[in-house]
This record gives sequence, C-alpha cells and structure tokens, in this order.
Amino acid sequence: MSEQNKDLPRDVFIQTIYEEAKRNKNLIFLCCDLGAKALDEFRVKLPAQFIHTGISEQHMVDMAAGLAQCGKLVYVYAMAPFATFRCFEQIKVALGAMRQPVTVIGVGVGFGYDDAGPTHYATEDLSCMRTIAGMEVHTPADNTCVAELAKLTYTKPHLRYVRLDRKYLNGLYSDRSDFKIEDGLVETAPGKDIAILSSGFPLHTALKVRERMKEQGVDVGVIDVFRLKPLNVQKLVALTSKYKKLVTLEEHFLSGGFGSAILEGLNDAGHARSVLRLGVHDEYYFENGGRKNVHKLARIDEGAVYDSVQQLIK
Amino acid sequence: MEANTPELIRKSQWLRKELFDLVVKKQKGHIPSSYSINEMLIALYYGGYVQSPAGPKDPNRDRVIISKGHAAMALYPILIDKGYVPGSETAKFTDADGMLRMYADPSIPGIESVTGSLGHGVGIACGYALAAKCDGAKYSTYVIAGDGECYEGSIWETALFAAHHKLNNFCLIVDRNGLCIMDATENCVKMDPLDEKFRSFGFDVRKIDGHRYSQILPALNDFEARKSDRPMAIIMDTVKGKGISFMEGKAGWHNKMMSPQETEKALAELNQNPIKD
Repeated sequence: MSEQNKDLPRDVFIQTIYEEAKRNKNLIFLCCDLGAKALDEFRVKLPAQFIHTGISEQHMVDMAAGLAQCGKLVYVYAMAPFATFRCFEQIKVALGAMRQPVTVIGVGVGFGYDDAGPTHYATEDLSCMRTIAGMEVHTPADNTCVAELAKLTYTKPHLRYVRLDRKYLNGLYSDRSDFKIEDGLVETAPGKDIAILSSGFPLHTALKVRERMKEQGVDVGVIDVFRLKPLNVQKLVALTSKYKKLVTLEEHFLSGGFGSAILEGLNDAGHARSVLRLGVHDEYYFENGGRKNVHKLARIDEGAVYDSVQQLIK
Repeated sequence: MEANTPELIRKSQWLRKELFDLVVKKQKGHIPSSYSINEMLIALYYGGYVQSPAGPKDPNRDRVIISKGHAAMALYPILIDKGYVPGSETAKFTDADGMLRMYADPSIPGIESVTGSLGHGVGIACGYALAAKCDGAKYSTYVIAGDGECYEGSIWETALFAAHHKLNNFCLIVDRNGLCIMDATENCVKMDPLDEKFRSFGFDVRKIDGHRYSQILPALNDFEARKSDRPMAIIMDTVKGKGISFMEGKAGWHNKMMSPQETEKALAELNQNPIKD
C-alpha cells in the first residue's frame, strides 16, 4: 500500500489515453510545452493527434473548444498554474459557457514545482476551477486512481479539470475492491475518532499523521475525496458521520478550496458540523528549501498537521 | 464566384433596415458595429461563399463566427431569412421568451459560438479550421474580428498557430473601422499597419474597402481560389455606423440609443441606400 509507484502520474494518464488515441483518431492532445516520458512515443507515433500549440494557453483552450465542437475528443495539457489561471476566461467562455467536454490536465498542483516560487505554484486552481459551471474537478492521489480517471475521460467525456501531482506518489488502491472512480471518494484508511479528509499529495501526509496518532492511541481515519466536484455528498455524510471530529488538509489556499467545498457539501446536505481546515493561509512563498520547507512554512507538513490534530483532541 | 452586385446592394439596405428596426423597437443593441460589417455579411451569405446545403447543422457547412460579439446580432435577420430562425423571433429580441439575445450563442440555429468577450471567436474558429484539416473536410471558416479586438493577445497566438499549420481554409476578416468604444484605436494604442502585421505572421493579406462589393467579392474569390497554403487575413477599412451620417466614424455611439428626432433622420437616410458599388 505504501510502495512508491514507478511511474509519474502524468505518464500513467497519458499512457492510458494514448492507448485510446491509437483506436480513436478523433482524440487530439494539445500540449503547451510540457513534456512527459509517455508523450515521447505519443508524439512520434501519432503526430496528427499530438499538437504542440506553442506556449499559448489562451489560444489552446479556445481552439480546443472549436475542435470539440467539430467532434474531436480534446485534451489540453500544461503546468497547472498556466492551464488554469492564464486561460481562466477562455475556460469560462469557450469550455464552460459553450459546454464543451474537454479535459484540462494541470500538472504540478500545489507546491509541486519545487523551488520555482509562486509563479509555478498552483494554490488557487481548485477554487478557480470549481466555480466554472459544469466543470468536474479531480485530484488523484495514486496511479490506480489516475488510470481510472484517464479511462473515464474518454468513456464518459465531460468538462473536467484533472489535477496531477508532479512527483511520484505512493500506491494506495491497486488491490482495493472498494475503490470506485464513480464514487468520487473512498475511505483510504479506517478510523473512528478523527477523520482527515484530503486528496492528492497531502493525503499521503495525512496517512503518516494517522500512523503517529495511532501511537498515541488515537484512531484517525483518512478519507480521499478525489473528486471534489461534483461532490458525492451522500457518501461523504455516510463516511464521516461515525467520526467525532473532522479535519481537512489541502495544499491550496483555504479560501474557496478543498476544505471550503467539504464544509459547503456537509452544510447543504443538512449535516453542518465544525471542521478544522488545514491549508495554505493568505501568503505567497518565495523561500528556498523545496516543497518540504514550504510545507513547513505553510504549516501543512507532517509535523504541523500532527500538532494541529493533537490540539484537536485536547 | 459570380455574385449579382445590384442584388447584394439591395440586400445591404434590407439588412441595415432590419437591424435598425430590431434596435429601435427594443432600444437595445449595437447599430454602428453591425453596420460596419453589413456588406461583408451580405457578401458571405448571399454571394455564394457560405454554403450549408443541409441546414445550420450540416457537418460540411462553411462556418462563420462574428467574434466581435456585440455585432453578432447583425446575423439575426439573415438567419431568419435563411429559415433557420422563425420570423416571429424578431419581435421578441431580448425578451424572456425570445430566442434572439443581445449577444449570440449556439442555442440560436446558425450561430456557431458564444461571443461577447473579445478574442475567443478567432481561436475557436481556428479549431474549426484545424478540425477540417484533420478530417480532410472541404469547408471554410470565416471569422470576423473587430480592429479593437486585435488588442487581445490571444488573437496573435492564434495567428502564429494558423500560419504554422498552413490553415489555408481559415479566413480572418478584420473590421478596421478605426474605433473602440471610447476613441480611435490610433489614439488609444497604435495598431497600424495591421496588414503588415498579419503578413509578417504568415498570412496572405488583402486590404479592401469593406463597403464596396467591387473589392469584397474579389478578396473572397481570392480566398477560395488561391493555391497558397497560408491562412488569409482580409483587412477591410470600414466606417462604424455606415449609413447613418451622425454616427459614422464617431466614438460614443457604440451602444447609445437615438432620440426620436435622430431616429427619424436615420431612417430617412437608410431609405436612401448608402451603398452604391
């Protein structure tokens, strides 16, 4: 369960849709100058279906809408901050208002682009993308989820934002029969006292905190909400109701992000309850030291999350 | 293409008057921006260039986007005339139960794209042109952009792409009426020479008078008959508000409504068709 996957999330995603692209000539992959090992074969073998758009996200998204209107199954692919904010209005108008079933793939969510600073961090993308009408938002935390999600994008095309981590992730679900992509969330690790709800990279932080809390005799469960929109509220309520306390953990600004969506979901379903929201406060980080150090500064690293959860039981 | 110019000139007057009625009755809409592209629209739809034999959803139809979305309403009378939209919709322009909106969208038969926010239509149209190339389809894509719209950076992203991919089925028509909402483009941020800009981006360029069929038709014929593998830009010099003397070339009329006296004077002028050639 905790072994690191040997492939990057982006390679798993691209490899999966590449197999479909070989069968489906209408599958078009638009790439805004972001490489991937799996793309090396795709671009050579299917040159008519792989298009480097130049570094021009706005054009890429508008053109994606036009292609989709003409019956193409379109993917747009870029680093997460550029795939979202740079072309936010294009996503709103050409994909949202035009209701086009295009998949937007953002790589390097959160502080994934180590050492790069705020230009490359995507700590606002969840709040931006989930406000687009009709947009699904997915954050897979392991490669099984990535592959299942990739399949979903061509078996049930829809306007989607896929948030991929830039780094290798530990495997979670390859042998789990209770993991179903359609559910949108799963109890990754059971518990009864406190549940930490998270997705993507910080979900793995939550799992580490769970182990440490076990030593304290506190039974922490971890819930992976890999599809934040539309939120499976019914299952969310079912899974969280047994826990005494709830914590959300995100590598994203607290305003409008993951925790906000969970609060809204519970509230709107008539199950409003107090939730400790852990995430990035109102600040941009330029400091060195990579993702690890920025997580420390933002107090979303394992130690800080552990401290916060401990405070909760006092 | 053999087009009947006197008939097109008559159609020009018809379209201006239809649009005039639409706006005056509801006191909503954009006359000046519609009038500057009036002749180009008539040429495209009645000169034989835009073909859609199996109706508005014909997969092989030629596609048109008025990317300067405030003027997309200029297509409404044409869509009614083509039988795509019921004539009864004219009276319901912008009404809650009406199909025709201030800014067009694809819920209206014959409208391809959501427009209103500038720049998008050009990129979306490029998607149509690229899809046609992928599929080996023969249809053409025409997109009309405002000159003020060309301030949007995404247009130049698309221009680079269209030239690189040899989208010779892509015709970008720039309505060079010289005006934004507030002032002349050259007073806001200098835009000339637009033709040289597009040429340097890899387009075949035609610079024409956008109110004279004697110049519009040869440019459109060129687009269709060319052997070139380049996309084409038709830069058409036009007059914003063409046909209503007190609006012509004046900033400030973008969406301003006329007084009753002005309405009367304008109608009298439209009854004397301003288009001669």
